[in-house]
Amino acid sequence: MANSNEVQGKLAQILGAVVDVEFPPESKLPDIYDAIRVPMQGKDDLILEVQMHLGNHRVRCVAMDSTDGLQRGMAAYATGAPISVPVGPPALGRLFNVLGRPIDGRGPVVSDTYYPIHRPKPDFGDLTTRPEMFETGIKVIDLVAPFTKGGKMGVFGGAGVGKTVIISELIRSVATVHSGVSVFAGVGERTREGTQLYYEMKDTYRVIDSTVMVFGQMNEPPGVRLRVALAGLAHSEYFRDQGKDVLLFIDNIFRFSLAGSEVSALLGRMPSAVGYQPTLANEMGNLQERIASTKVGSITSMQAVYVPADDYSDPAPVATFTHLNGTIALERELAAQGLFPAVDPLASTSRLLDPAFVGEEHYNTAREVQRVLQRYKDLQDIIAILGIEELPAEDKVLVARARRVQRFLTQPMFVAARFTGREGRYVPIKETIRGFRMILNGELDHVPEQMFYMAGGIDDVIERYEEAKAKGEV
Amino acid sequence: MPNPREIKRRIRSVKNIQQITMALEAVSASKVRRATAQALSARAYANMAMQVLTNIASTSGSISALHPLLQSREQIGTVTICLITSDRGLSGAYNTNVIRVARQFAQHLGRPVRWVAVGRKGRDALVRLRENVEAEFIGLPAWWTIDALRPIRQVLVEDYLKGYADEVYVAYTEFINTLTQKPMVLRLLPLAFDEKSALSRPDYLKMMEKPESSVADYIFEPSASAILEEIVPKFVENILLELVLESQASEHSARMVAMRNASDNAKALAEDLTLSYNKARQAAITAEILDIVGGVEALRAQEAREAEAARADGKA
Repeated sequence: MANSNEVQGKLAQILGAVVDVEFPPESKLPDIYDAIRVPMQGKDDLILEVQMHLGNHRVRCVAMDSTDGLQRGMAAYATGAPISVPVGPPALGRLFNVLGRPIDGRGPVVSDTYYPIHRPKPDFGDLTTRPEMFETGIKVIDLVAPFTKGGKMGVFGGAGVGKTVIISELIRSVATVHSGVSVFAGVGERTREGTQLYYEMKDTYRVIDSTVMVFGQMNEPPGVRLRVALAGLAHSEYFRDQGKDVLLFIDNIFRFSLAGSEVSALLGRMPSAVGYQPTLANEMGNLQERIASTKVGSITSMQAVYVPADDYSDPAPVATFTHLNGTIALERELAAQGLFPAVDPLASTSRLLDPAFVGEEHYNTAREVQRVLQRYKDLQDIIAILGIEELPAEDKVLVARARRVQRFLTQPMFVAARFTGREGRYVPIKETIRGFRMILNGELDHVPEQMFYMAGGIDDVIERYEEAKAKGEV
Repeated sequence: MPNPREIKRRIRSVKNIQQITMALEAVSASKVRRATAQALSARAYANMAMQVLTNIASTSGSISALHPLLQSREQIGTVTICLITSDRGLSGAYNTNVIRVARQFAQHLGRPVRWVAVGRKGRDALVRLRENVEAEFIGLPAWWTIDALRPIRQVLVEDYLKGYADEVYVAYTEFINTLTQKPMVLRLLPLAFDEKSALSRPDYLKMMEKPESSVADYIFEPSASAILEEIVPKFVENILLELVLESQASEHSARMVAMRNASDNAKALAEDLTLSYNKARQAAITAEILDIVGGVEALRAQEAREAEAARADGKA
């Protein structure tokens, strides 16, 4: 059973997903994060990851699968290395779990390169930043939170406001035109969505041959959800180190924090603020610091971040914020008004939104849009109490434009076409800026505000208006 | 979770607004009674004056020739529109409505308009729209009298007599009851019947109506022209007074209702905000308690573990 370099031990205690293993006194204990193999009858080996040294030659581990059927005294083998996954060209087009085992039913993956999921971050001297914009075709994102090539963007939002839809739309619009490799890591989200995405990548977009997908969804034990993002990252790192431009999608990074909290509690660590693990910031830092672009290749990452109870001050999203180049904040209030994508233009930002990078015109338009919307927000209490009639004339004009801007920020999504019945629209950034400029300059004050709703470019709006005018509706 | 301090700030500002709206509501409520009484008594008088004029005009065509204000002109060029609004806002849609109707009417006429603005709100709106404002009256008296009205009447009558305008209209707000006011336009000059049928008029436009049958036959002493010279300007003044009093009653009623709604809205908003403030506060307290209890439990578990380890070491 045992390979020559493995150390044999035996299971000493099993507590749900936490397993203690005892090794003989004369042998060397496995290192922290090393993998321990437990052969199971009629199944693949169960893998444990070492988390703590307990004393008395015992180590405490977290299981990477269900611990059903384990017994005390069973043999366990310390492999002497962390969990490693097959990376490189053979992994392309395949679907993996956290252990690097394919789960798409298309046979085993044999690669000459295996990467451990725990790897050091790139050296400081190797890091680069290229302030170059990455067009997404989504108006609100391109305008107020433009993506950086080789940067990290987070999509924040509470339950059911559209994080996964935005990530899927980005995959559709970016991955399909992207020439490099895409990696998708599904962390603790719905299995159904993962399956759907796999088939879309395979059959609809036909980009599966340049894509690696790694899944550890919500049904998996916490150890898996804690490590699956790292497995996805290992794939990305390999391609980056080969000089490729990599897109890394992670949905959802919050489940990683949550899994960390579960593991921490199972290991008996003292909880910190709001019940999170005391090592929250450290764990997040170790993950995020590895998502970096080097002089050799780049990783552009887009991460969905669930915000529990819509509370942006929760420690988990806060720990994520600091690592990102830009944030896209989704707001339930907007979703409730049917303004999709429900991106809050006042809370979303990007480091790239600077006249030196995106140009004066883009910068000024974005800031002006934000100013108008902020003013509208400030006036909302007064409107609620006294009514719109009491506003001074300039504010009335501003409110009218703000409402047009708000509606023009909506856009039909390709991936949501079958729910909304509207075909998605891709809007180039130039068109986006021109449209908002026209609204802000008051050139479209005569067009009814509902015509701006769910439009593509500004020409769509004008076309709708002309059509309605021809029919005599306006 | 929204920031409790931020919510508290908003509650305070909403309550401040509520205080103002409640005070304005109370003030308007006391004014509305007097203004309504004035408007209603003026209305009876003005109606009577209008009836007398109608009768005079209908008795004989020749009499209308005796006073220039009774003569309509064949060619209509420029018209004067007098727009009656209030000096102050916070009166709901009162000003907006009458301004809208007046402009609608000006568009309907399609002729050059000389505007006479009564009230700051109307003046501001017209100036902003770059309309031709010939005269403005702002800083209106709290209670209208014939004397206060005289300069306005002079401007309007002069416009007509000197031929600057061939018709004079007044846009005002008719007081129906406290809840309903209707913006209207009345043709003030000439004091003559409208030649066209009433059906072709917009529904907000009022003119002198030809009576079905002649009611009274007047005998003028010493002469028709002497009498008309005296009474026609007075009648114009009286009709104008009624219009401003109607507008004033409408203004106070509109303000009272608007402020009552505003106070109600503010109250509802303050209640909503108070609820979210309490929720946020309670959530913060709960989170703190959980943190403390969790910490204590974890410490206790650790102590127990250490004690056990110490025991095990002692045994070994």
